[in-house]
Amino acid sequence: MQTAALSPSPPRARKGPYAELLNELNRDRTPLAQVEHDATVPFGPALRVERFVLGNGLRVLVVEDHAAPVVCIQTWFGVGSRHEREGKTGIAHLFEHLMFGETESSPHGAFDRTLEEAGAETNAATFLDWTYYHMNLPADALELSMRLEADRMTKLILRDPQVSSEKEVVANERRQRVDDDVDGAVSELLYKEAFREHAYRCPTIGWMEDIKGLTTEDCVAFYRTYYSPNNAAMVVVGDVQMKQVLRLVQDNYGSLPSATIPLEDVHPESPQTEERRLRVEKPTPTQKVAIGYKSPALGDFDHAPLVLLNEILFGGRSSRVHRALVQQKELASEVRGWVGAFRDPALYDVFLSARGEHTCEELIAALDEVLEGVRAKAVLPEELDKAKARVELAVLQGLETVSGKAEQIGFYEIVLGDPGALFERLAVYRRVTLGDLLRVARRYLVTSARTVIEVIPDGSEDDDEDEAEGEEAEEAAS
Amino acid sequence: MTPVFVEPSPALPVVSVVVAFRSGSAHDPHGREGLGRITARMLRRGAEGWSSEAIEQTIDLLGGELGVDVSPSATTVHFEVIKRSLEPFMDLVATLLTRPLFDEHELARLKREVEAEIVESRDSDAMLCSRAFRRTLFPQHPYGRRVGGTIPTVRGIARDDVAAFYAAHYTRKNAIVAISGDVEVEEGHAIAERLLAKLPDGAMVPDPVPPPSARPGRRLVFVDKPDRTQTQMIIGGLGTHASDPDHWPLVVANTAFGGTFTSRLMNEVRSKRGWSYGAYSRVGFDRQRDTFTMWTAPAATDAAACLDLQLGLLHALREEGITADELAFVKKYLVRSHAFEVDTARKRVHQKLEAALFDLPEGYHEKQIERIEAVTLEQANAAIRTRLSEDDLVVSVVGTHEALGEAIAKAIPRLADAQVVPFDAE
Repeated sequence: MQTAALSPSPPRARKGPYAELLNELNRDRTPLAQVEHDATVPFGPALRVERFVLGNGLRVLVVEDHAAPVVCIQTWFGVGSRHEREGKTGIAHLFEHLMFGETESSPHGAFDRTLEEAGAETNAATFLDWTYYHMNLPADALELSMRLEADRMTKLILRDPQVSSEKEVVANERRQRVDDDVDGAVSELLYKEAFREHAYRCPTIGWMEDIKGLTTEDCVAFYRTYYSPNNAAMVVVGDVQMKQVLRLVQDNYGSLPSATIPLEDVHPESPQTEERRLRVEKPTPTQKVAIGYKSPALGDFDHAPLVLLNEILFGGRSSRVHRALVQQKELASEVRGWVGAFRDPALYDVFLSARGEHTCEELIAALDEVLEGVRAKAVLPEELDKAKARVELAVLQGLETVSGKAEQIGFYEIVLGDPGALFERLAVYRRVTLGDLLRVARRYLVTSARTVIEVIPDGSEDDDEDEAEGEEAEEAAS
Repeated sequence: MTPVFVEPSPALPVVSVVVAFRSGSAHDPHGREGLGRITARMLRRGAEGWSSEAIEQTIDLLGGELGVDVSPSATTVHFEVIKRSLEPFMDLVATLLTRPLFDEHELARLKREVEAEIVESRDSDAMLCSRAFRRTLFPQHPYGRRVGGTIPTVRGIARDDVAAFYAAHYTRKNAIVAISGDVEVEEGHAIAERLLAKLPDGAMVPDPVPPPSARPGRRLVFVDKPDRTQTQMIIGGLGTHASDPDHWPLVVANTAFGGTFTSRLMNEVRSKRGWSYGAYSRVGFDRQRDTFTMWTAPAATDAAACLDLQLGLLHALREEGITADELAFVKKYLVRSHAFEVDTARKRVHQKLEAALFDLPEGYHEKQIERIEAVTLEQANAAIRTRLSEDDLVVSVVGTHEALGEAIAKAIPRLADAQVVPFDAE
């Protein structure tokens, strides 16, 4: 298969909006480098995503947006921490760090330095379902950026000293985000308790002992398994010309072979029938509660209504939970809810932080009262209108920059296979009815299927009166 | 009379408005710290014809967002709304801005909320570290005070204080408006006029902040918190002023030292040793000179060594300066990445707002590229020696003192003063 890829392919007759351009671009190119137009997807009222596929399977999504002389390139890979094995958690994320290292043609450190010198900024992120690499660049750095991005897709070199050093960096990232952070630690525990079978039970950053045990060989094997053009979608948004982008893609990615991506060994979570509750002590001033209700997958019909229900419960100061727990009962200093946006069913996360001496029990009782309200009776029409308006504003706000647009396109392409799904969801939100909200409230806000983590202060903090005196005490000490 | 800046962009049907006042927490009376922030937050807690609840309902129903931010030198009331709801949203904000009620019951409720937030914020080690650093660097100075106040000062704020603060600072002459998004220029000016029409002219309020002076000697402030596996650490002192003749040379030199992902500090701390997830330095400014800071978060076991390394890097920076290669690199980086400072209407209008609000020198943003390009190696290194001190230095650390206190203190030669404060001290 790879031998055949070295010979130019005979020209093919094409139709469609890019027929002439593609005929020109594909002339004298090998089969791996042949580019085909796959779809035109509207992206809001003014823009459109053009989706192409290279002969080796790389998906290329381009949005021409000439508002400023800047470009965002994001490369999304269909691999995340859900693909990890027990004992090797954290490898998808550690590997993401290592992707900024040495390649066959570029020494260690050169990737970031070269791009920064060109005025570009790079970053990356890993989560349960995906990993993506991000570059913001001035428009004239397109060729350089794409060359470097393509280079590391298959020509990375991993050596022990760099892997060891990066493991230290990741261990420190874990300390910062999880071990010394109450929110992070509680969220990790919530997913661990709520999932018994599905890979979502393990944190993307990995368990500390797993991070420490990962080897260079593990990383090389992970790279060879998951990093290939047919497991990636490249998004280019900004001040570019279609022909220029496609030619650069052919030049830089057209020689990369595709690979066989292993079948994912998914273990769907069995239905939860009893509430799970855990209590932990942390050095924190007040009691806190994290609750995970089982939530539908991003592509599920129920996902959009549940997002709107969450807005009614937690979105803004006029939301039901904020009004009840923060303003009226003054039980909580902070309340928030988030419906997981994942490929498989996951969690609807709720977090409540108590005020003063109030307890987890009080918080949960007050929350239950509010949730019983939305389960028992339809919410008011104006509450639904409000939720729709808030969600619409949030969508629009996320599209201000080239990177904001690229992120939405890449995320929906890699999770749902539809780069314009954001706008389809906007249309879906508009169609959601009061009955839909009643249905999802009853289907998902189920006490017997929830997991509760209660956080209790470990007693390291003094009482309130001492706190009030603290300022003077410190002044005296200095 | 009121400066108004408008940057139209029809790309999205959203309008963004910032009404800024040239007053902030630096104007809080002594013993009433947090007053400016409480005043700003009270705007949405009741206005002529509007209850607090009705205000919140309407904001959300119209698809809008309203926020207030208070810094030492400025207060901003900002909102963003879907274009189709601009008119009713504007009417609401105009009423909040010009006809607030400052209801006693709402004030009491807000004060209890603020108190709870102060307690809650002790969960953030990064915040604790930053607060300890500023308290120690700027003692008895407005820049060292907590913008939101402390529990005793917030408890002491009365309705009359709020009303008096509002009357003195929320005036047309003290305001600046910045608008971006789906509006034309004339429309933007009309929006500003409608928002402020019922505010009194008043007077531009003078900035009460004196130039901060350096605290002599090396000082350690150790914030003691149990069970820390990691150490938040800020090292620094006074920084730059936008009007300094060596302002741009210092900005350029600092960017080479710790301002990018491949800078010297990041390279030594993270890339070579893996000691901290992040390692940055920053020179900030306000209307007066603000800070130069190095920030890292090493594991507790590496904290003393990391501190020693950073002090060594600062010493080398002062002794030897940055290199010609570093200068060439960072100038290219700053000039070429400038496109991202002006790529959206919001960023462009915020530059104009910032220039007016902080009294930046003429052409501060407009001539940024040419000023950066003009910086020489001699200027950059002279700025480092002039502005960054090794002798007058504050080291702020959040960690578990019993495990780490001695090692940290030992890692700081010529330590003039060390204090240990509990994490719930403020």
